[in-house]
Amino acid sequence: MSTVDLPGTSPVTGGTSTTHRQRRLSPVRAAQYVMMAVVLFFAVGPLVWVVINAIRPETEIAAYPPKLLPRELTGEHFASLFGLYDFGTYLINSFVVSIVATVLALVLGTLAAYAMARFDLRAIRAVGELSLVAYLIPPILVLVPVTQILFGSGLGDNRAALAVLYTATLLPFALWILRPYFSGIAVDIEEAAMIDQCTRFGAFLRVVLPQAVPGLVSTGIFTFNAAWSEYLFASTVMTTTSKLPANAAIFLLMGQMGTGSWGLLMAAAVTLVTPVVVLFIFAQRWLISGIGDGAVK
Amino acid sequence: MSIVTSSRQRAREEGRINRPRRQGLTDHQLALAMVLPAAVLIIIFAVYPFAIAVWNSFSEVDINTGATNFIGLDNFQSVFTTPAILASMGRSAVWTLANIVLQVLIGVAVALLLNADLRGQGVFRGLVLFPYMVPAIVVALIFRFMFNDVTGVINFGLQRIGLIDEPMSWLSDPDMLMTTIVLVNVWKYSPFFMIVVLARLQTIPQGLYEAVSVDGGGWRHRFTAVTLPAIVPVVLAGMMLRTIWTAYDFDLPFLLSNGGGPGGAAVTVPLEIRQLAFEQQSIGQASALAVIAAILLTGASYFYIRGYGRVVKADQ
Repeated sequence: MSTVDLPGTSPVTGGTSTTHRQRRLSPVRAAQYVMMAVVLFFAVGPLVWVVINAIRPETEIAAYPPKLLPRELTGEHFASLFGLYDFGTYLINSFVVSIVATVLALVLGTLAAYAMARFDLRAIRAVGELSLVAYLIPPILVLVPVTQILFGSGLGDNRAALAVLYTATLLPFALWILRPYFSGIAVDIEEAAMIDQCTRFGAFLRVVLPQAVPGLVSTGIFTFNAAWSEYLFASTVMTTTSKLPANAAIFLLMGQMGTGSWGLLMAAAVTLVTPVVVLFIFAQRWLISGIGDGAVK
Repeated sequence: MSIVTSSRQRAREEGRINRPRRQGLTDHQLALAMVLPAAVLIIIFAVYPFAIAVWNSFSEVDINTGATNFIGLDNFQSVFTTPAILASMGRSAVWTLANIVLQVLIGVAVALLLNADLRGQGVFRGLVLFPYMVPAIVVALIFRFMFNDVTGVINFGLQRIGLIDEPMSWLSDPDMLMTTIVLVNVWKYSPFFMIVVLARLQTIPQGLYEAVSVDGGGWRHRFTAVTLPAIVPVVLAGMMLRTIWTAYDFDLPFLLSNGGGPGGAAVTVPLEIRQLAFEQQSIGQASALAVIAAILLTGASYFYIRGYGRVVKADQ
């Protein structure tokens, strides 16, 4: 993504990059900053509002007209979320399922993507085409048969099965992103490693894989986020409440509590979005290139 | 691959690779072993279920045993004659179209802004992308809170700046609900187009803009002669993916409308499919509806691909 750092052009303003730097602040520039501020307000404002309401008492949340800033801070919503409603259990379910699915998708995806990038066999090309088709088969289309298959084989309501199901739904995406990475890594170094007493697979592990780390990180973040956010399968194939991932559990909470306890729901929202924020900050550059890759390559 | 094999053979001829036979998988075997696990999973959880869905659509299915009984096109016929199912198709058409149009317009506009060489744009780019990463359930919680009829901050804000006189029933009025969930979905997914378009804008050589300027073209000219032709292909490709994903999106409409909304005003095709399958226990009809949706969207994709081909060809 070296291109990200290139100076942008300004096709909208019509100012070339030299003229607008010399001027103090043209009206067009000023308008652009104002628009940017508006966009930022819409993009980030809702999240800020949620955080504010997760840490203020219920009486303040219900107050009308609403006050922008909290007068009093409280941790009571988080306390009852984890104490009374045992949210920790659901969070652990979510973490375990998402991490297992991500690791499996990365390992299997890496192996297959490497083979696809390096070996031009008919069977492998067929798998590539199959995965592309699978990428375009949306969850809702296969929901009913997948539910039948899982419950029919005694694997319904099973967290490990849910993780494997996620792996399968994430694999086509992982292949799609990872394959160009391996195609882009020169074969010369592999050959060199193989001449130095490495097996083909050894060369892949020791020489190729380290170079693919940026691709693996961005793919990993996307797959984790997708598994972490998934609702449809989780809510359909899991039937025991204590085994539910947090997403599905929150929806149940939402139904049980009604509107009297917004603070609690906002605390749940903040808790659930925190891992996403952490990942996001950690890997912003990779994310931006990742979305582009997934969409247009 | 041929290079690799030949060098390996060379190495073997030189006697440097001397390994016991059982370790020496051939490249073919290694390659097949590497794709096999992924292929098996994709077949079990995507291809095979898809085949079952197609088969189910022609069958009467016992929800408990899974036993099927071939009944031809009956499911399809009932899909096209049941008003509730037809209504869900109508809602899906509105939902998909409104989402794509708004997301493209906002996405392109913001991408141009992000590319306008403003100070602090690195931070802008990161923050603006953020809604895309927020899980659907969190989006639902956020906006159920903010669009709340009574104490919601959106009603308060709109009344305060004088846009509305009375609080609006964003989520409880069946006539209003679809608009609300579209707006929220646009909030979440516009960043997709922003990033895709921005990535393309950054690859446009500055010289092209200068050439138009030298020829006396203004900003409008620069936009139509340079910017637009460059971004149309990526926008089309992005539209194809987003059309498919939006049309099939279950999570956001379901969660935000709290399971379909008053009078089922937010029941789009995916919600109807799950309802048919698990509440009305009519797997055959659910599958028929899924198959019809798949056919319609394949058709839509075909038009995007054709449009894409035409644009790219005209560009060359």
